[in-house]
Amino acid sequence: MNELESLRQEAETLKNTIRDARKAACDTSLVQATSNMEAIGRIQMRTRKTLRGHLAKIYAMHWGSDSSRNLVSASQDGKLIVWDSYTTNKVHAIPLRSSWVMTCAYAPSGSYVACGGLDNICSIYSLKTREGNVRVSRELPGHTGYLSCCRFLDDNQIVTSSGDMSCALWDIETGQQCTSFIGHTGDVMSLSLSPDMRTFVSGACDASAKLWDIREGMCKQTFPGHESDINAVTFFPNGFAFATGSDDATCRLFDIRADQELAMYSHDNIICGITSVAFSKSGRLLLAGYDDFNCNVWDSMKTERAGILAGHDNRVSCLGVTEDGMAVATGSWDSFLRIWN
Amino acid sequence: MEHFELTEHTANRPKVYTKMEGLVREMQDPESGVPVRSQKLFLTSIPAAFMGYDLIEWLMERLSIEDSSEAVHLANLLCQSGYFFPVTDNKTLTVKDDSSLYRFQTPYYWPSSAAHGHSPDNLEYAIYLAKRSLRNKQRHGLEDYELEALNNLKKTLQNKWDFVIMQAEEQVRLAKDRKKGDKIVTDSQERAYWRVYRPPPGCLTLEILPLPLAACRLERQQKVAARGKTVADAKKEVQFLQSSSDRTRVKTSVALDSLVQCANTYLEYDPFLTPVQPSNPWHSDDPTFWQINSILVEVPTERRVRRWGLSMEELVSDPTGLQEFTNYLRKEYSHENIRFWTAVNDLRRSSQSQIQNKVKEIYAEFLAAGAPCEVNIDGKTMEKTQSELKTPSRFAFDYASDHVYTLLLKKDCYPRFIRSEHFKALLAAGVQPSHKKRFFNFGGPTKKKTSTSGASNGGANNVNAGTNTQQATTARGSSHDLARGPAATAAVAATAANAASAAAGGDVLTPPTRPHGLPGSLSHTNVTAEMRCETPYR
Repeated sequence: MNELESLRQEAETLKNTIRDARKAACDTSLVQATSNMEAIGRIQMRTRKTLRGHLAKIYAMHWGSDSSRNLVSASQDGKLIVWDSYTTNKVHAIPLRSSWVMTCAYAPSGSYVACGGLDNICSIYSLKTREGNVRVSRELPGHTGYLSCCRFLDDNQIVTSSGDMSCALWDIETGQQCTSFIGHTGDVMSLSLSPDMRTFVSGACDASAKLWDIREGMCKQTFPGHESDINAVTFFPNGFAFATGSDDATCRLFDIRADQELAMYSHDNIICGITSVAFSKSGRLLLAGYDDFNCNVWDSMKTERAGILAGHDNRVSCLGVTEDGMAVATGSWDSFLRIWN
Repeated sequence: MEHFELTEHTANRPKVYTKMEGLVREMQDPESGVPVRSQKLFLTSIPAAFMGYDLIEWLMERLSIEDSSEAVHLANLLCQSGYFFPVTDNKTLTVKDDSSLYRFQTPYYWPSSAAHGHSPDNLEYAIYLAKRSLRNKQRHGLEDYELEALNNLKKTLQNKWDFVIMQAEEQVRLAKDRKKGDKIVTDSQERAYWRVYRPPPGCLTLEILPLPLAACRLERQQKVAARGKTVADAKKEVQFLQSSSDRTRVKTSVALDSLVQCANTYLEYDPFLTPVQPSNPWHSDDPTFWQINSILVEVPTERRVRRWGLSMEELVSDPTGLQEFTNYLRKEYSHENIRFWTAVNDLRRSSQSQIQNKVKEIYAEFLAAGAPCEVNIDGKTMEKTQSELKTPSRFAFDYASDHVYTLLLKKDCYPRFIRSEHFKALLAAGVQPSHKKRFFNFGGPTKKKTSTSGASNGGANNVNAGTNTQQATTARGSSHDLARGPAATAAVAATAANAASAAAGGDVLTPPTRPHGLPGSLSHTNVTAEMRCETPYR
């Protein structure tokens, strides 16, 4: 008991030291640094396409990064649908073994999609089989909690985050967990890969975000600040910062090199939590989906709201910006996906 | 967990409730809140009610909301969560910015109370419905969906039904002793409560968290709480905090500066902020933009080439850019570096079965003494690599590759490329799509170009024949006439001046000439074969 107590005190002292060090490094605010930036004016986006076909709540979506305009969406009707978003045609409709799906991902090559949820398994589906049909090519069991998010590094490696408070790197071919990322003290809800694919950031129900080195398997930095569960994380385009969305109704911008929070995006009349976040191509716009059915567009540099995407009849559960930055897709509990720009 | 019945609405989301309730309490403040009083509707007096537009006005002032529709949206959210309800409308939970009347819900029925153990279960619902069926039919009669629910509950709770009826009768009897005004209010509050938790068919339910997920979270929290912190955990935490406190931090001014730079530099490449040329396919239904910007193109757009000049990452992450870079380096007899780097990337992404062979091949081609494409790495890096090769994995050449990337490619080859005539020619030849004309024969990578070497007039004539018919078609997407940043326009003007000397006048697209000969067919496999090191280059 005594050792525990002294360790606890040591931890508290260190936390204070870190807090002071962060303050010392904070020699200017975002508002000051961006005072000379030109305003971008009101951003008005309209729905360009509506993707209809799911029969229940949509929980996740992910854009393909190949040259097609494909995206994959997962719904609790037990289906993964791969859409050609430009023509609104369904390219594949994949029935799932478990309908409690919470996440999906598109491989950069366009050859695979992955999904998972309350079955604790990450399932990989091959889209380009010789027979022409879509089938499960690998199942990755191992997590002891629900699968909240997954992202492909390439056709052979995938990173997952789970309700068992850990993240994992898998070798798809062997089906083994190569690396385990332990450290969070709450369900890990979301992850985002860095542009150079060497690190990733995770957000969890312990209100902290963590930066991990994929190769080393260790947590490099921890970012406290939020007051409640972090539901979504996304990297800033240059890889030096990332944004988070939380149940405390705020989005925040954290810088990796400064090791601290740089900005907060909130308003008194926004009381609902954020479910998903994404940056525009330049990083100037931060799009965030909320529980109150709207999606807000923030000017990330001026921390002002630049626009609203209103059109869904239920919670916006997921959103994503295309690789070329041309459009944003929102998925909702109202079973529709909308493409905006 | 038996004592705590977990329903959809006992899910664990205290934060949003805290905010909503804080707001609602402020609304109920007798001095500064929403004006609540007895309202007259036709000939009846409606106790304890407030009007829609009083609520909206209060919200707009309190939260500095400029647009009333936002306040209405928020009010509806609060209503659907069960904090107040329309008085005269028994079915919906919508709020309107007019003189319609609403009443506050009693805290006993607030959602957070549900979270703490007071859950709207079937037994309670049955008692409530039974109660209403015992009372005045005109005022309390059940709707069709409620009758159906009652009948179903009678079946499922048949062994408790006597208890249900007994409770219902008891509550009706107790209610008789209360004042009329109070009864009206409490009856309406109870009714509104069930409207939230047992909504009529077709009505929106405001779910907070789906059932199984809430159960998982709760279970985990209980487990973590039960276990407590071990000494091992505490030691790990201290260790981590120690390394965190030792780290050097960049000043926020520096950090912010790089973010601002990024946002400014890429402003012209952000389609949400700068319209694309010739038109945005999502608006105009014309996919030309994607066609002229496909992954591998013979002639990239001028904008794309300019982007390669921003950083080496931009150049090598674009397959066309990588190709041009490699071509340039081959001409300079130094393309072993880029080929090595590409090969190592490929190794990293390979399947397990291919790794052993690929490692051998890469070593033989690039690192062995006297290798055909020997890359120049220092002794220390070679040492590290050799030790990695003892247990070859997909990461075996990462040290070497990083060294080549950072020191050789990024610091030397890349800057030379950007300053080279090769690059300048690419810029000059870059496609500059106009927003007015629609392009036909400007296709993908496999098109063989009909080159008119340097000939301006010839080219112009070829296309002019077509322009008359083109002009007939209305300018698609012309509303996206451009709010381009001043810097971008200036840069384009500068390079446009260069391009003008190479192409005919006017803003019509002329297939530009290639600065160097490259085979017309550009399939990926052809390219890699083309680029392999051959002895002549040694």
